[in-house]
Amino acid sequence: MNKDNASNRSGSVHMLTSAVSRRSFLRRAGLLGGTTAMTALLAACQQPQAPAKPAAEAPKPTTAPAAPAVVPTPPPAKPTEAAKPAEAAKPAAPAPTTAAAAPTAAAKPAAAAGGTPKKGGVLKYGLSTDPSNFEPHVSTGAASGAVKLMVYSTLLTYNAKGELIGNLAESFGWLDNKTFEVKLRKGVLFHDGSELTQSDVVFTFNRILDKATAATNAPRLADVDVVEAGDNNAIRFKLKQSNATLPLVLADNSSMIVSEKWIKSGVDPKATMMGTGPFKFVERQPGVAVVLQKFDRYFIPELPYLDGITFQPMPDDNARVTALRSGSVDFIDYVPYTQMDVIQKSNDLVFKADTSLGFGWLAFVHDAAPVSDVRVRQAFALGMDRDKMAEVAFSGHGSAITGGIIPEGWVGYTKDLEGMFKPDYEKAKSLLKQAGQENLKIDILSTSTYTVISRPAEAAQAQLKQAGIDGNLVMQEWLTFRQTVQAGTFPVHVWGSAPSFNDPDFLSEYVTSNGFFAKQIKFKDDTLDKLFLEGRQTVDVAKRNQIYQDAQKRIAEVVPWVYLIRREQGEAMQKFVKGYEHIAAGAWTQIMLRETWLDK
Amino acid sequence: MLIRLVPGDPARAVVGETASEEQVAIMRQRLGIDRPFHEQYFTWMGGVLRGDLGKSIINSDPIGSQIALRIGNTFELTILSTLTALLIGIPLGVVAAVKANRAPDFVVSTLAMVGLSMPGFVVGTVLLLVFGLMLRWLPQQQYVPFLSNPRQHVELLILPVLTLAASTSAVMMRMTRASMLEVVRQDYVRTARAKGLQNGIVLMRHALRNALNPVVSLIGLELAVLLGGTVIVETIFGWPGLSSLLLAGVRSRDYPTVQAVVLVIAVLTILINLAVDLVYGLLDPRIRYS
Repeated sequence: MNKDNASNRSGSVHMLTSAVSRRSFLRRAGLLGGTTAMTALLAACQQPQAPAKPAAEAPKPTTAPAAPAVVPTPPPAKPTEAAKPAEAAKPAAPAPTTAAAAPTAAAKPAAAAGGTPKKGGVLKYGLSTDPSNFEPHVSTGAASGAVKLMVYSTLLTYNAKGELIGNLAESFGWLDNKTFEVKLRKGVLFHDGSELTQSDVVFTFNRILDKATAATNAPRLADVDVVEAGDNNAIRFKLKQSNATLPLVLADNSSMIVSEKWIKSGVDPKATMMGTGPFKFVERQPGVAVVLQKFDRYFIPELPYLDGITFQPMPDDNARVTALRSGSVDFIDYVPYTQMDVIQKSNDLVFKADTSLGFGWLAFVHDAAPVSDVRVRQAFALGMDRDKMAEVAFSGHGSAITGGIIPEGWVGYTKDLEGMFKPDYEKAKSLLKQAGQENLKIDILSTSTYTVISRPAEAAQAQLKQAGIDGNLVMQEWLTFRQTVQAGTFPVHVWGSAPSFNDPDFLSEYVTSNGFFAKQIKFKDDTLDKLFLEGRQTVDVAKRNQIYQDAQKRIAEVVPWVYLIRREQGEAMQKFVKGYEHIAAGAWTQIMLRETWLDK
Repeated sequence: MLIRLVPGDPARAVVGETASEEQVAIMRQRLGIDRPFHEQYFTWMGGVLRGDLGKSIINSDPIGSQIALRIGNTFELTILSTLTALLIGIPLGVVAAVKANRAPDFVVSTLAMVGLSMPGFVVGTVLLLVFGLMLRWLPQQQYVPFLSNPRQHVELLILPVLTLAASTSAVMMRMTRASMLEVVRQDYVRTARAKGLQNGIVLMRHALRNALNPVVSLIGLELAVLLGGTVIVETIFGWPGLSSLLLAGVRSRDYPTVQAVVLVIAVLTILINLAVDLVYGLLDPRIRYS
């Protein structure tokens, strides 16, 4: 017998001894734990019914669905006011009467679809995360947002070009600087067959503003004094001070309109859904699927084209892409950047994306040395070659941000700043020297949970070496990371997100003293506070443009944080999935599913 | 209970990324996680004793029915993959032992090394790419309950079972080989041979039966590991079992869910060990309880 066998023998002897000692342990454990354990086990097996019953099932119409009373039959899609260049769609002009906001744009999908839409079919949608819950007013991420968007409706929404249009609103606009009016469509039905009333809308916003709801949009609606019903199906938002972002918040997917009667009936809106959207909620099998079925009496008569959508959570990036490539699903979101090339080269698949939104940044805790010194922060800003970072972190599916953070085409974009943060390692080093921080060693915190955050963090760490900054990267799991950032224990962290809406005011979260991210990094600057307040209260587009350009120049001076790269983000689908456009307006892109159809 | 020591606030997971501190505080109160730990624990324990595992604080799902829905899937996966591993591992182990240090032994041992050293996510991803994408033999889609479509259900099971069985069968094979090599040198085997019994009968009746004892205890251990350790496979193949429930619970700091799943896994582990000890007795009368 050789050495090999001898060692194996000792292995098996060990197994036997451990078995003996386990036996005596088991006897005791069995006596102690048996009762409790069995009770628990029995309890676990007691209720085998699905937790999410189709509670929101709408009663079958007893009569033929009456054509919704006053849904305007739109004229053929000729570009209306709202369909003009981006500016027109940006926070509405201070028109004395309600601005024409074409529900028509939403009801004319055919032009964008490239063909005559066919009705029918169920779309199999590979969803990047299992939606944690369906609470309509508390955002729990893009995945549940996508599902909610199909069941509920907002007052305003976006069309395929990313322009603000009416949804439940037939028209909308500013009556004066402090009063925003929305005229509701008539004859809109909830999935339970009841009609949408002004009272439902008022109830919805009161629910959002109620502190106990902890609604995502409550802080963004803080300027709202009162929401009240007016004549002619009008809803008026009276503000304490003017706020140009209000229409954008109304279009946000955490401003879903709910039925007062339904919420008050004591349902749990985390577990079930009932709205006025194009699809009815059928059931949720946790970890497996969320099933939606076409709502026959949707307020845009010809929509939706699909008979239903089945959302299948596929958290594993590779599995999601494989499912799409093998034809198991028709559509996936959050295409991983490693697979974008493969999908773009495929003849069977279509990839639709943008690079204007998701972005990564490196933030400083402003009361912590040495980053409290602006020269050190500038050294960080100059110490990175962002083009290379985009190459390394996202295989080229990203673009460097070397100037202002506001993307081209938005209010406030300024060309003057472009190239300002090109890599200049010598200057970075001399700035560090001036600040007495030569060969700076510093801890950098980031999160391992999302590669869109961790990859740029790794790339940043490597880049900074050339500027004489030796970063020690610490990766934490998401919620731990969140708590550590909150506590401010690390002087520098790398994070990434997307603007909350496509208006420069989203930056106030980051640079004004009341902003969520600014508070977290203890940043405060009176000039920026003033500029952003002014920008929010100004509705004139040209004036706003100037204000936000000034703000970005100020940001470039004080460097509250450093922007890194914008990442490409989008959806991929089979070629036969038609009518879907990627809206470069954040999480609202899935509204396009109501106009999506299957050409097979 | 360690989950509570991990930093991270479930209330923040509920209210979303940019919620204010005030909103988080309101949510903490609503979820009842602002109360002292011992108070929460006793409330929960009281519920468990009454047969109520509580509700998820993230999505209000009753945890008991969540576990009930998934426990069958987990059993299916663990039992089938263990059986597969036995069917592959034991015969190969016997072959390797009988032909020790000859070509078959080297081939089998090398295979076992590969199986052991390849992490589950690699095996799973490769299987998925080969069978799901290149060959398109097996569908890769949403989980289908057995009763609604038995054929598809079984088809969906094949890849995750193979993935799990890859490393388990390697362990089984090595254990069988080692144990067999030890047993064939025993006196009673020599006696059996001396009686003139055929080699095959000696190996099967006398040697293998005795060599299986450590393998059985290994099965117990592997089953217990698989019960809680199938996270990666469940994620890759979208198989809704206990591990993915546990993982989701940990990620969102859903304390009641984590507690309940851990409790159920612990109880199952104890039961499996008990069963293993009983099987010992069947295999080897010498260690029967008096």
